[in-house]
Amino acid sequence: MTEQNIHEYLSDLDDIPGTRVYTASRARQGYHLNQFAMSLMKPENRERWKADERAYLADWKLSDAQRQAVLDRDYNRLLELGGNIYYLAKVFSTDGLSFVQAVSSMTGMSVEDYQAMMMAGGRPAEGNRSIREGN
Amino acid sequence: MAHISAGVATSHVPLLGVAVDQGKTQDDYFGPIFKGYEWTKEWEKQEQPDVVILVYNDHASAFDMNLIPTFAIGCGDSFGICDEGWGPRPVPDVEGHPDLAWHIAQSLILDEFDMTIINDLDVDHGLTVPLSMMFGQPEKWPTKVIPIAVNVVTYPPPSGNRCWALGEAIRKAVESFPDDLNVQIWGTGGMSHQLQGPRAGLLNREWDNRFLDMMVGDSDAARHIPHIEYLRETGSEGIEMVMWLVMRGALGRKTRCLHRHYHIPCSNTAIGHIVLEPDN
Repeated sequence: MTEQNIHEYLSDLDDIPGTRVYTASRARQGYHLNQFAMSLMKPENRERWKADERAYLADWKLSDAQRQAVLDRDYNRLLELGGNIYYLAKVFSTDGLSFVQAVSSMTGMSVEDYQAMMMAGGRPAEGNRSIREGN
Repeated sequence: MAHISAGVATSHVPLLGVAVDQGKTQDDYFGPIFKGYEWTKEWEKQEQPDVVILVYNDHASAFDMNLIPTFAIGCGDSFGICDEGWGPRPVPDVEGHPDLAWHIAQSLILDEFDMTIINDLDVDHGLTVPLSMMFGQPEKWPTKVIPIAVNVVTYPPPSGNRCWALGEAIRKAVESFPDDLNVQIWGTGGMSHQLQGPRAGLLNREWDNRFLDMMVGDSDAARHIPHIEYLRETGSEGIEMVMWLVMRGALGRKTRCLHRHYHIPCSNTAIGHIVLEPDN
């Protein structure tokens, strides 16, 4: 790859429809949120979390908006607030949800419709590449 | 002298690990996926690699946000299995090859790659699912493994060109190791998939197959694909395909394809798999 202008590089990342790329600014905003999610890799933490979600969250330096979005399992909102799907996976795994169940919840489709779309070849790239270009 | 005899690439979808662990590999959904790995399983039995250099990405398992290495190499004696939220997979621990791993680390650093060296590392599905796809359910994995972790989570990940060049430097490192070892290099992750946001579920059969085409022969066009193209064409997590370029770069100028498999869908993703031989 030839040398890139970082501002052009970052601006392109914001040009993809329905996508929040995990840039440094999101990583910075989501640091505590993602570390909270990561803590659920330990079984003893999962038990405490399941027993009282609000009490568990009180130990973490989350914003009120992040805290509410976690309790609501509003994954699109969590992505906007600096969450990353690889980290947030610990939350829906603890809920006993599969990737398909959790991921489909972000698309506005039912799990059944989402699965039917995947079986039919998935969401096409056509029309989903660029906000600017509308292609 | 040690040598790289082959390159293998495969997706590492977590659901495939579940299918293996729960004995569902032959059902209607998983059957066509696993059928594409049968050739490779038989081939691996004959090849008996001494060591696999396994290029994968950690999915926020061993590395949290306190430590985000762009390239890291596992130099430990063995690697434990991560608990990713539903308990560790019931698979054997992974045995390392510290002598070769340290040798590669030194050689790469002298070649101006700033490697992070890890001694204590638990590995997640990114590494264990490919082992299950190639080796099934043995009591002990039939090969030693050197994990090479690539950051494809926090932006920017390394460029495709840098990944390819890392592969070239790995080949040089392996070929300067004095013991006679049969080494394979595996690139894992990909193909097209998007796990997040309203665009989730994006799959691009055409683009994926063009990418598979680019792994074979003497073209190095794939090293120049910019990140934005992976993101637009293959979904936000399709960026994992840069890890295949480390594998491809390590095979030298030209490759021959021994086996190729592609299937849609597996969970949220397309699944791709290719076996290559250096042809130089």
